[in-house]
Amino acid sequence: MKNQANPWLTSNLLVLGLGMLPAALLIAALLYFTAWAFAFSFTDLALVGTKAVDWSWVGFQNFERLFTRRGFLESLWTTVIFVFFSALVGQSVLGFLLAATLRGTASRLKSVIEVCIMLGWLLPDIVAAFLWSATTSQTGLINAIFVRPFGLPPINFINDYALPIVIIANIWKGTAWSYLLFSAALDSVSREVVEAAKVDGATPFQRIWLVQLPIIRPHIATNMLFITIWTFTYFPLIYAMTGGGPGRQTETLAVFLYNQSFARGNLGFGSAISVAMLVIVGLLSLVYLRMLREPK
Amino acid sequence: MLKKGFLTTVAALSLMATAAIPARAEVTFMYPEWIAALVEPGIANFEKESGETVKGIKLPGQGYDQRIALDLSAGTAADVNVMDSFMVSELAAAGYLEPIGPLAEKWDQYQYYLPGLLEVASYQGQVYALPTDTDVRMLWYDKSNFEKAGITVPWEPKTWADILDAAQKLKDAGVQYPFQLPAGTKQAEAATMQGVYMALLGADVPEGDRNRLLNRETNQWIGDSPALRRTFDLYHQVYVDKKLNPADLNYATDIGAAVRQSLADDKLGILASGSWEDACLWDCNTPPSREERDAQVGWTPWPGSGEPGAKTTTNISGGWTIGINSKATDKDLAFKLVTAIFDEANFKAWTLSTHRMAVRTDISESPEYMADPFLAKATALAADTTGRDTIPGYQTVSALIQQATSDILDGVSVDEVVQNYHDALVDEFGADKVITYE
Repeated sequence: MKNQANPWLTSNLLVLGLGMLPAALLIAALLYFTAWAFAFSFTDLALVGTKAVDWSWVGFQNFERLFTRRGFLESLWTTVIFVFFSALVGQSVLGFLLAATLRGTASRLKSVIEVCIMLGWLLPDIVAAFLWSATTSQTGLINAIFVRPFGLPPINFINDYALPIVIIANIWKGTAWSYLLFSAALDSVSREVVEAAKVDGATPFQRIWLVQLPIIRPHIATNMLFITIWTFTYFPLIYAMTGGGPGRQTETLAVFLYNQSFARGNLGFGSAISVAMLVIVGLLSLVYLRMLREPK
Repeated sequence: MLKKGFLTTVAALSLMATAAIPARAEVTFMYPEWIAALVEPGIANFEKESGETVKGIKLPGQGYDQRIALDLSAGTAADVNVMDSFMVSELAAAGYLEPIGPLAEKWDQYQYYLPGLLEVASYQGQVYALPTDTDVRMLWYDKSNFEKAGITVPWEPKTWADILDAAQKLKDAGVQYPFQLPAGTKQAEAATMQGVYMALLGADVPEGDRNRLLNRETNQWIGDSPALRRTFDLYHQVYVDKKLNPADLNYATDIGAAVRQSLADDKLGILASGSWEDACLWDCNTPPSREERDAQVGWTPWPGSGEPGAKTTTNISGGWTIGINSKATDKDLAFKLVTAIFDEANFKAWTLSTHRMAVRTDISESPEYMADPFLAKATALAADTTGRDTIPGYQTVSALIQQATSDILDGVSVDEVVQNYHDALVDEFGADKVITYE
């Protein structure tokens, strides 16, 4: 189709330029910050002290240290576990199951469940962190309801099972997004198709697995793309709940990056970590984007 | 015509936007919540006297150090800032702070500050901040839990073995946190100062700075030493071998609140901390009565390890300061605010009511200060104290120490922890700046 721009606009370069300015500024700002992190990943820039002003280029040293020093690989593994179980398995599967189950039920129960799911999403991270810390501590609600009444010794869940607890908290926090997305996606599957499958004798499982899931495949990929990106870089809930601890048990890459950049004050190394994270998330995004393509 | 009209509109909008930005006639001030009782009356006095307005930015204590460093380095910090004294030299080295000496010399109360404490807030011979308080460090303990565990009160441990022994008895008596020894990255500076450094100072002989993180004569960081290994081994015994304390308080959402709660719930045995806890174990700004506090807790100096030649008790002092941003718009006005906060009446009232250790002779020599039993005992402890290795680089070293304690909580061996610490020091400062002691 031919470009249908306003002739007055195309002949008036100043207005055109001014109109483009906000977008150009936004793109420039995004590129600037990425380029900044990329450039400083090759330096020994520090947050404070003399190296904050008098830094020097160190080549690939920071990147070498990602692999030769304790920390990065462990945090990468923790992040992979965290993303896989809390986002991909937890939020996505639970969100889909809820959306599939509640679909078509227009009862008050559905509204109540929806509000409950949304509450986790709407609550600020820091409030959620306090809530989960208190609930899972030795004197918390879980012990009071499920452990003590059976005469068992109380368990300090947040200390003894830090990573699983953080994963569960994040599932609770983030399922709403997947639920909403899958609800909308399932609503877009026409009833006729599902009815036709039913008439053909497909079981409920077959109707979901063979009919609905293939139709909403692009939505699944979009959902995976979003939740992978933001779970991979998710910081506040974990940091507030455990600070990456005990030890390094919940030190995901985002927490590791924070500690290296702002506690240790090594912005050069911190930049290298962020560049590595950018590359990893970029590669994962490519995989999902391939999934988004229509099958030939 | 259209073009002209468009340009006129743009010009008019720009003018309106400029007019909408208010003239910046206020002083900004950032401080942690625990020091509000000193800062807020000072701000009120300043506003009344000068007619200027102060925009106070009150923040939680946790993460405050990182915030101040980040704000100053990003150029977005307040005009006047409260900061931990250990950060002053590093922030000054980066050019973030205004030298305070030339401004302070005209102020009649400047003469009373203790020179040793001004030294801590100095860099290359220039004073960059004025101290608010200093402190000493000790082991606090819950008296009722000690009685429950059958340990004699007042408790007077002579070596680390006595501490471990008491912690074991407390654990056997069912106390949830028998020995809360600050560890890990979320504890930040508390892990270095209240935990590692207090142990380190008593872990070996003081000669040649064998019991420190830095050899102060050569300015070389100590990457491996018997004292470091003994200190990390103490952590290993507490958190891994003997399991004398669960790690979770070190990673609580709000560590200070979690510690206060555990004391209130009678779940705390021994707490390695400092003199500020005389108020902060309850409420930094409005503590309960002397009797109430004495009935609940006691304290004892940190004993040495018991190694031959090592110190019998240890102590290290820190403290907080107030400094001026080198980018502050009106530095004279900013300093006027500093003097309003530090004005004798306000400063003395805060020092006495919150049981802080005085940094000025006009306060420390006042009869009210000398009559306070806690401050008298704490001041006696300060007779044998030392300071941090506040040369630029300390903050990094301190973060590496915190990481080392964090790794111990994960069960990593002392050998590996020391090796990692040594390698990280070499990464940061170069091999010629790192030494090891056999």
